[in-house]
Amino acid sequence: MVFIAADIWMYNSLSTSFASYVEQRNYNEVGLFVQTAPEDQADMAAWLAGVSTIIPDSQALYFAYDASQFNFIPTSDGSEVAGQVWVENSSNPDFATALESAYYLESMQLPSTYITDIGGERTPVRIFFAPTIAENGYEATGAVMILVPTTNASGYARLLRILAIGAAIAFFAIAWVITFTRDPVTGFMVLGLFMIVAIFVAYPLFEAVRLSFLRQGHFSFDAWKMALSPSYIVALWGSLRLGVSTATISTILGFLIAFLVERTSFKQKKLISTLATMPVISPPFSLSLSVILLFGNNGLISKQLLNLTNTSIYGLGGLTIVQTISMFPIAFLTISGVLRQIDSTVEDASLDLSATRWQTFKSITFPLTVPGILSAWMLVFTNSLADFANPLLLSGNLRVLSTEAYMMVTGRMNDLGGGAVLSFLLLLPTVSAFMVQRFWVSRKSFVTVTGKPSTTLTELTTTPVRRAMAIVTWAVLGFILMLYLTIIAGCFVRNWGIDYTFTWDNWKAIPDSWDSLTSTVLLALISAPVAGFIAMMAAMLIVRKKFPGKRLLEVLMMTPYAIPGTLIGIAYVIAFNKQPLILVGTGAIIVINYVIRELPVGLENGITALHQIDPSIEEAAQDLGADMPTVFKTIVLPLVRPAFISSMSYTFVRAMTAVSAIIFLISAKWYHLTIKILSYSENLRFGLASVLCTVLIVIVLGVFGLMQVLVKDDKLTQKTISTR
Amino acid sequence: MEKKSVSVTLQNVTKKFKDVKGKADVIAVNAADFVVEPGELVTLLGPSGCGKTTTLRMVAGFELPTEGKILIGDTDVTMLPPNKRDTATMFQSYGLFPHMSVFDNVAYGLKLRKIPVDDIKKRVNESLDLVGLASYGDRAPSKLSGGQQQRVALARSLIVTPSVLLLDEPLSNLDALLREQMRVEIKRIQKTLGITAIYVTHDRVEAMSLSDRVIVMKNGFIRQIGAPDEIYEKPDSRFVAGFVGKAAFFPVTIGEMVQDLWSCELGGKEVKVAQIAPNVKKGDSAVLMARPESLRLEEKGKGHIDGKVRMNVYLGNSMESFVQTPFGEVLVQIDDPHSKKVYKEGADVSIGFSPDRVRILAEDEE
Repeated sequence: MVFIAADIWMYNSLSTSFASYVEQRNYNEVGLFVQTAPEDQADMAAWLAGVSTIIPDSQALYFAYDASQFNFIPTSDGSEVAGQVWVENSSNPDFATALESAYYLESMQLPSTYITDIGGERTPVRIFFAPTIAENGYEATGAVMILVPTTNASGYARLLRILAIGAAIAFFAIAWVITFTRDPVTGFMVLGLFMIVAIFVAYPLFEAVRLSFLRQGHFSFDAWKMALSPSYIVALWGSLRLGVSTATISTILGFLIAFLVERTSFKQKKLISTLATMPVISPPFSLSLSVILLFGNNGLISKQLLNLTNTSIYGLGGLTIVQTISMFPIAFLTISGVLRQIDSTVEDASLDLSATRWQTFKSITFPLTVPGILSAWMLVFTNSLADFANPLLLSGNLRVLSTEAYMMVTGRMNDLGGGAVLSFLLLLPTVSAFMVQRFWVSRKSFVTVTGKPSTTLTELTTTPVRRAMAIVTWAVLGFILMLYLTIIAGCFVRNWGIDYTFTWDNWKAIPDSWDSLTSTVLLALISAPVAGFIAMMAAMLIVRKKFPGKRLLEVLMMTPYAIPGTLIGIAYVIAFNKQPLILVGTGAIIVINYVIRELPVGLENGITALHQIDPSIEEAAQDLGADMPTVFKTIVLPLVRPAFISSMSYTFVRAMTAVSAIIFLISAKWYHLTIKILSYSENLRFGLASVLCTVLIVIVLGVFGLMQVLVKDDKLTQKTISTR
Repeated sequence: MEKKSVSVTLQNVTKKFKDVKGKADVIAVNAADFVVEPGELVTLLGPSGCGKTTTLRMVAGFELPTEGKILIGDTDVTMLPPNKRDTATMFQSYGLFPHMSVFDNVAYGLKLRKIPVDDIKKRVNESLDLVGLASYGDRAPSKLSGGQQQRVALARSLIVTPSVLLLDEPLSNLDALLREQMRVEIKRIQKTLGITAIYVTHDRVEAMSLSDRVIVMKNGFIRQIGAPDEIYEKPDSRFVAGFVGKAAFFPVTIGEMVQDLWSCELGGKEVKVAQIAPNVKKGDSAVLMARPESLRLEEKGKGHIDGKVRMNVYLGNSMESFVQTPFGEVLVQIDDPHSKKVYKEGADVSIGFSPDRVRILAEDEE
């Protein structure tokens, strides 16, 4: 109660003093303004028009002093609105008093607020009268009436109100935690997490939804009507076609390679796995870029080698190829995870019951893999729909939603609401795919409950089948390798497609882009530990603690995972380019964006890791006198170190290769290397783009390698935890 | 380590959980009310899911009671978090810190108490010595055997000189031989330090051999509290009787009491019984409880219940005869079988008992 009173009192006194401050300031401004009055009546109109640059949105009217009548006569100089006000109020005693004081060289503000019609909107104004003074310094030559809208003060008043309410909410939450929990530290942590997700997940999305229903400040379905018009349904259709074809081909390819690696006695398994996962961590434009270099209009293979002129890599076909190459690793990793866990003894049992190998595969191995295959498909589908970088370079005539939304915002329409709506359209298929994956497919999974992975392996394939699979695999991997080599080659070629002479010139891209390079690395370096730390803390709270709203917190934290980056970017621009939180243009918003977007993966990692740790380890520490933060620092963090490190490096890599969300958030000061690559590519400066791609790949691979080294020696700890 | 022993008091402690769907309440502990005297070792005994571990975890502070109060000494600790309570818990899975050496595990509690490094070294080494692991300080816990891990956990708990030691089935992961050794060890250390202890187990032998008193629990309810011999010989209910030892039960109807002996009707015959549970009275149908060692085999028709020997199991110091009777198969334990007459398998026999070696109990409600 005391706090409410204090809060209200603070709010009142602040807003009162603020209002009086604004009035005082306006009063002074008016006084200064009239001192600049021109001598010549002819300049009067122009001078009066300038009042709005001194005091925003104000209007003025000039009164000439007629010495013969001892009276001020309104002139036609000044705004119509002001003239109107005078006409309406000329008999008002306040106005007469004010003019009288102008005669005595005093400025005056009328005591009440008047409502006028400015620009078609009813606006409350305060009215000032100020004399213009003759050169001799003691005679009024005239008076100026100035209308100052109170709205520019009300913006601050609203902000103040928001702050006051925010303070009250924060206070109640804190008070609640202190009184009703016996573990305030946990309470504060939970509170902190809730605040983070409320401000940086729920609020921007809410603002995006709100804006999508607004047209010029009024409720309207215009944006949605526009989005559902045939012109954009085409784009939705394009996205879906692309998603289905990419997902299907990727899943087939992923299954093939996963089967080869996990279920056959094939030799170079390690090499294959490494090559097949490469595209996951490569920068978003790199594969598109090299496909353009090879198969584009001036491509090495399409033009120089085959001399094709009538085919185009731009469009559904080319985009499917590039997306498949960049996304089949997801399918590969998912499916091989499932295949690895299938106990060979079930296959042995089937063979033992005199099934043939093909029958065994058909009736045992494949059905057990189906949940994995489905979730791989869903994951690739979601990724393909959300993909923004590749379509930007390669979509050609194919229209897809993610780039349409971007065009809507950055193009000549500059329509944030429209962009938000188009991204929401994208959300529908991705969220439903995500839901299906999470709640249906994962529930159907048999593999996680069956026994231990066995060491022996039953060969289900004959040698010719295996050879055929190997040939396909190597063809694909060879293609990938070629794409990467092309980028490296691109670094040293003067003018790809025209002049293939060797040059070092392209490397000037590095000094040219030095600022973006450093800011990209810096922001990624900041984001990584923050995301990792928050993820582990949240994982501990979610796995180990009971608190109200846990489910909600988990859902909110996982939300960014299912949302296309374009939507997050647009939502952030909408929410954080205005009071009370103006963050657009700062580095902070980019860091926050990275953290929020990569939190879900870190959280999953942390939750999985914690589930493998016997809770009595933490309880023992607490029992011995450690409080929550100490338990977290001395026990939990060291034990989940592998998850912590991999979350950090994952965040770092994703931050280094981000495009879709941050393309909306970058500023001149905080630029991103990938956007630089994009603009080089769009301007056909492929050499420079190749160099930057190579730099990014080197950094990312370096970090990835470092992480592998760091996590490796933790395998031992990990094992002892699970076997206690 | 000289510290005054304290009592632990539970006043009407109830713990409710939400069930899996989050709808209905499940009562894990129902109005538990007892006092553990200073220096006493009390066992909570019961089948899994009876609420014994939940009770212990409430004393440790890992769970909050839904209702009721918990006192350690005279201090109300109901709302205190575990790190503010003067208790030390030994976990079923030991809960050793896998990323620390044995030394660091034991030193953990002292480091938190900001004790000077030299003191820590001295005390940790002393305490490792006490549990016989003096040379194991540098090892990782995963490199120790189960029994050694157990002793590290014990050393870690005791080094912070807690007022109350809480043991949550600490021996269940050990093999039979080691379990016996550790049982003796724990009892010895507990008595030496005079520390108040609560011990949770589902193993009746452990409970009997360790405890000053045993609290038998079932479905969240305390069924009986008493010294081990009391619980074994004078159970109040069929459940307690069956849980703390082998027993045969025969349905009886209670008749008159004559000269301190109750006359009951068992299978149409009259039997005399000296002991009766307090909640049974004349006219009730109840059960007659008999321990295998209280029964004897006699010639057919001479004892109380006729039957036929189904199987004899020779155990050296005793022999177990399984006798088929109208009331089901009954186990009779014959001590020192060499000095007694042994009935061959298939022989017709009669089971007899003396009135003061059997007890009448209420039929359990379930």
